[in-house]
Amino acid sequence: MRKPLVLRHPSILVFLAVLAVFTLAVTMLSAGYGTGAISTSMVKTLGKTLCLALAAVAMDLVWGYVGILSLGQMAFFALGGYMIGMWLMVARTEGIVTGSLANLPIPPTEAEISQAVATQIFGVVGSDQFPAIWALSGSLIGQLALVVLVPGLLALVFGWLAFRSRVNGVYLSILTQAMTLALALYLFQNDSGLRGNNGLSGLQNIPGLESVGQERLSVWFLWASALALGLGYLMIAWVASGKFGSVARAIRDDEARVRFLGYSVEGYKLVIFVLAAVITGIAGALYYPQAGIINPAELAPIASIYLAVWVAIGGRGRLYGAAIGAVFVSLVSSWFTGGRAPDLNLGFYTVKWVDWWQVLLGLSFVLVTLFAPKGIAGLVDLLEGLRPPKRGGAPLGPDMGALQEREATE
Amino acid sequence: MRFIFIALALMALALPAAAQAPDLGAVIAQHRGQIEKPSRQSIGPVVQAIAATGPQGAALLQAWGDRALGLRKSDGLLVIVDGDRLTDAATGADLPPAEVTLLRPNSGVRGVISDALAGAALSDPDPARRAQALDALSRRADASQLVLLRAALDDPDPGLAARKARLERLLTIQHDPDPAARIAAIEGFGGDTGLDFRAALNPILATRRVALETVPPGANVAAELSPGDDISRDAAYAMLVEAGLAPARLTPQAERAMLAQHIQGGMVGGVPLAQLGHDAARDRAWTALESQGLVQPAASEDEVTAALDRFHFLDVYAEPDQTVTDAARAALRGTETRIGLMQAADLSLDALSLASIYFLAAIGLAITFGVMGVINMAHGEFIMMGAYTGYVTQQFIADRTLSLIVALPLAFIVTFAAGVALERLVIRHLYKRPLETLLATFGVSIALQQLAKNIFGTQARPLTAPAWLDGAWTLNDIVGVSYIRIAIFVLALVFLGLYLFIMNRTRLGLEVRAVTQNPGMAASMGISPDRINMLTFGLGSGIAGIAGVAIGLFAKVTSELGSDYIVQSFMTVVVGGVGNIWGTLAGAALIGFLQKGIEWLNPANTLAAQTYMILFIIIFIQFRPRGIIAARGRAAVGA
Amino acid sequence: MNTFTSACAGLAILAGCAGAAWAQDDTIKIGVLHSLSGTMAISETTLKDTVLMMVDQQNAKGGVLGKKIEAVVVDPASDWPLFAEKARELISVNGVDAIFGCWTSVSRKSVLPVIEELNGLLFYPVQYEGEESSKNVIYTGAAPNQQAIPAVDYMMEELGVEKWALLGTDYVYPRTTNNILDAYLKGKGVATGDIFVNYTPFGHSDWSKIVADVVALGADGKKVGVVSTVNGDANIGFYKELAAAGVSADDIPVMAFSVGEEELAGLDTANLVGHLAAWNYFESADTPENKAFIDGWHRFTGDDKRVTNDPMEATMIGFNAWVAAVEKAGSTDTDKVLDAIVGVEVPNLTGGTAKVLPNHHLTKPVLIGEIREDGQFDIVSQTPEVPGDAWTDFLPESAKLDSDWPGKQCGMWNTETNACVQVKSNY
Repeated sequence: MRKPLVLRHPSILVFLAVLAVFTLAVTMLSAGYGTGAISTSMVKTLGKTLCLALAAVAMDLVWGYVGILSLGQMAFFALGGYMIGMWLMVARTEGIVTGSLANLPIPPTEAEISQAVATQIFGVVGSDQFPAIWALSGSLIGQLALVVLVPGLLALVFGWLAFRSRVNGVYLSILTQAMTLALALYLFQNDSGLRGNNGLSGLQNIPGLESVGQERLSVWFLWASALALGLGYLMIAWVASGKFGSVARAIRDDEARVRFLGYSVEGYKLVIFVLAAVITGIAGALYYPQAGIINPAELAPIASIYLAVWVAIGGRGRLYGAAIGAVFVSLVSSWFTGGRAPDLNLGFYTVKWVDWWQVLLGLSFVLVTLFAPKGIAGLVDLLEGLRPPKRGGAPLGPDMGALQEREATE
Repeated sequence: MRFIFIALALMALALPAAAQAPDLGAVIAQHRGQIEKPSRQSIGPVVQAIAATGPQGAALLQAWGDRALGLRKSDGLLVIVDGDRLTDAATGADLPPAEVTLLRPNSGVRGVISDALAGAALSDPDPARRAQALDALSRRADASQLVLLRAALDDPDPGLAARKARLERLLTIQHDPDPAARIAAIEGFGGDTGLDFRAALNPILATRRVALETVPPGANVAAELSPGDDISRDAAYAMLVEAGLAPARLTPQAERAMLAQHIQGGMVGGVPLAQLGHDAARDRAWTALESQGLVQPAASEDEVTAALDRFHFLDVYAEPDQTVTDAARAALRGTETRIGLMQAADLSLDALSLASIYFLAAIGLAITFGVMGVINMAHGEFIMMGAYTGYVTQQFIADRTLSLIVALPLAFIVTFAAGVALERLVIRHLYKRPLETLLATFGVSIALQQLAKNIFGTQARPLTAPAWLDGAWTLNDIVGVSYIRIAIFVLALVFLGLYLFIMNRTRLGLEVRAVTQNPGMAASMGISPDRINMLTFGLGSGIAGIAGVAIGLFAKVTSELGSDYIVQSFMTVVVGGVGNIWGTLAGAALIGFLQKGIEWLNPANTLAAQTYMILFIIIFIQFRPRGIIAARGRAAVGA
Repeated sequence: MNTFTSACAGLAILAGCAGAAWAQDDTIKIGVLHSLSGTMAISETTLKDTVLMMVDQQNAKGGVLGKKIEAVVVDPASDWPLFAEKARELISVNGVDAIFGCWTSVSRKSVLPVIEELNGLLFYPVQYEGEESSKNVIYTGAAPNQQAIPAVDYMMEELGVEKWALLGTDYVYPRTTNNILDAYLKGKGVATGDIFVNYTPFGHSDWSKIVADVVALGADGKKVGVVSTVNGDANIGFYKELAAAGVSADDIPVMAFSVGEEELAGLDTANLVGHLAAWNYFESADTPENKAFIDGWHRFTGDDKRVTNDPMEATMIGFNAWVAAVEKAGSTDTDKVLDAIVGVEVPNLTGGTAKVLPNHHLTKPVLIGEIREDGQFDIVSQTPEVPGDAWTDFLPESAKLDSDWPGKQCGMWNTETNACVQVKSNY
């Protein structure tokens, strides 16, 4: 009889407990349900950060556990957002249109309503027809299914093609980057059917919940995001542990050997890639109603690279590391770019953080890669007194993986 | 025949002048408001009136067109400004210096003025003036100017004489009253592909679409259209409706509006309002109203068919003479194939140019990534650094040719140093962790980009090519390519040669190849892999710097210059096949030609071309994961 | 103050900063919502400085309602969702009475729901595509009928253009503007075949094919004109390619809607002389007001070379209109200011006045300028003030719409059915 998952990995319990306490604390300080010490915009920021953390945890699964540095994860994130955004737009506009058409002497036909809705939504791109991809947009269930299906399917097709032809390493990274770039460029076109550069907007107004008010709605979304993060974390931790996880890590460390042992490397990779894409899509579907607007800029390659940066800074190969990285870097980042960080007066030059934050971020990123490959999560090891034995030193042979000096002597 | 024309025209011009030769001052006073605030539409008569006053009028017009006409601030006197010299526009008398507000006629008005002056300027002793006059005439001319041109065909300058002759032929096509002369002129051009020739023919072939019950005799019909085939039935019927020849068909909006007018006690035509949310119920209500005679019956499908059968739908030439239109059509058709070929050639040149730009951006990467296997995401920023080096050099050295000569090696030195620093400080420690090289260099990339913003600002900076790179090499009106693109092409070729030379013919190249293939063995042969790696990386980065100068010259210098090219550059190398310069060349060619090809298929949307190009590359890599020219043998294992 | 702010900002990460922390009752606060970093920083930073200059000047005159004005500057970093977040923060946390901000349409659409929900007040200073009228926004930039339509009229009448190339960057402003122009030109009898439309990505640099396509349009023997809604850096490559291809303004004039004094600073203008731009303001306007404004700007920035441009004038007009409305209403309450602001007239810099209309747009003169060698414009045409039209008359769907805030309390009034389509915007 094996011990349950959470007991084998106490970090899971700690993570969930911290998440629960955090959610509770924010709720009690929020404007909607508590003292109001935390403004609604801050609650939204925190809720969004939880979604980003979920995306980062999924990124950690593909990168930290299977070794696929996917630089296209935000494509799945944004697709999830687009899918839920379609329903939000249509349902909200339908409410407005039926309201205004009801004043007419002759009641409108279904076709007229749909025509008016389409005119409202696509007027900005000079069209008055629903494109074919909006076929399910009237149904919440349909679009929710698409939140899972569309990113999953894209990952399946892309992953199947790429893994099958054994594209890996940096090639795969560049290819995933090309994928998100292509998708972003496609969506930038007005004819893509998703309103081009305008994207979908006003997503924070949830149809049917107009009376709730943003103060409380933002807390609801925080709860949903926390729940999704908790469940997603559990699921990914479960996948990453056990035999499946062991094979995954083995693929990361030496793909060829695993293949020779008879495992279907492509199958393992594909399952994990698709799973991560689906979870990322869900995170996106929760993120964009809090952000309020989604447009193709969200898919730009840089966004996905930032996701990788967060995971790397947080500590790759451990799920809580990825979550910490996402929360820490995105919040610090928004603090520095928000103009609230005090200027640093060096006497001869005043450092304005709005201008210099990116430089600092870039350099700290280099430093983390060079000197602290374990990231922030490495601090946990320090606390626990875990230190890898120093077996470095000059290599004794010229090739990769040669015995190193101290390894030989100790 | 022609002689009589010239004589008549000259008389027509001379007569008014001789008859009264109106005083320029009076003309100015009369049209004062128009001169100060001219409009192309109405200025024609004023310009004619001024031109008719004689040489001083012409001088005034000349000054006006050159924006040298102004109002003296003290009293509003119209004056001509020539440097420091002021003259009274009406009399030509010298005036003491004074403050002047210059008049700003817009380019439409200036066009009218230069038209008016063109006739006389055709025989001006100054060749530049004659060329200007020809420019003006080739933009717009009418029959009277054809007469003037014929009178001034002789020109001492052979180039101008040829232009005059050609223009005379073109104007003959458009304005000669004699059809035979026009046809002769058209046929005289043979299969000429010049834009001006087609511009002369196409107006002759302009058609308008009409719907007629009977075709009038003598109408020069281009084509008869049958509804449903050449023109959609809806469009054809819409033409009839618009001309008032047939009743409109019932649209849902009209139906709805009419129904709304006939609501009686919550019912329309006996159908309750609540049911009118369905089309079938609306039709029932409409039929009921129709039977009560409350609404006009709308055109039914049968009536539409009948109306369409009754009318002829024609494209009619505006030009009445059929022989002329036939000749013009034949001439145009004769040019079609050649124009198609020329367009293909032009497109190929564009594609070649784009390919050379991609190649130039990617060649440094072919060294650092292709040969060494190092992913350098900051490569784009090295390109940017090169471009900014060019900009800064231009700030210090005013002479553009000289500054370019200085900037190219300087850009190499700057980015070589940056590359070496990056290799020593960062990449050296990560040779065994390629994915982390990617991330670390990405960190360097965002830091460098922001640094550039902090130093140079976010605004694009000018990097101007020397004058000898201005303009374009043009074979004819269709095929042409700008000199700057040719220069980039040449630069790309030079670098290809340089790369091949260094790699295959120098000690450094030998050592680089040795280190790449087997660092351990190379080290034991006395080659220092560290040093070689450093130099190779520096070389790749340095070439990126030079590419930056070239790209900055043809596009723009901004901090985002590098990131615009980085993904494409990587794809060029990957598509071509890593570790082989010919592969990079093939990759650049493939991408360049592909992108132009897709742009040609869909000229309205350049964004789509880029999207499909990337999509194609993704799919291409699935089937040839090692690129067009795949590395074979041992080298392939490491990649 | 500084340490307090930083401590507060430190707390903000976990706890958010309570509104009370900023409360200083002796000032009137306005928000400045312009990107100071990211791609839009280049354009928007200038507007932030303009607002700060206006605040300085107003405070030197004694502020408004006897109180000093305090500007709260935030940086939405060219990130559209961040615009919504920062707007919410400005209104609900900082308690600002008006916001001056946004440049791109996307950012405006991102802010709209927040502004309408919290009943804020936004002054939007950039020329835009129209088709919008919100209760809570004053549009101080040009609507299409104040820029695009007069510019096309000018090309048709003064330059005799018969064949049109509408080139734009692929986003909402060029798309909508070109749709309107397309409908307008066809209404004027231009055939479908005589309108060539092309969209390019942001920052496009490979213009050779497009320029060749435009030149080839001349094969019909009709005068070709280009209407360019190409945005930002992409213009540089475009004009360079035009110059290289030897296209002079006399052959093919280019009328640009997004190229102003700032953009020309990045270019060698020698080859662009004679090409055109349409705005409601040029720095070269010869009026005493403009001279004073430019002097003030040079003083404020400490840089004699900083150019001024159209959105700066729009920002200035918006600020002055707000001050006038607040003085008139005797309050900074949004509803009272909105009631008072309609009908307010403030001088513009080209010698007339800008009046706030019931549809929350302004009256503006339309100026056409020809590019000079020194990067400035020769004003070759100036109309009297044109009232801004929120819903264009040239698209069938919006021709029947009207907007009248004080009268009908509606920004989207259907004049056919005489009913309000919607009170709040549908973004």
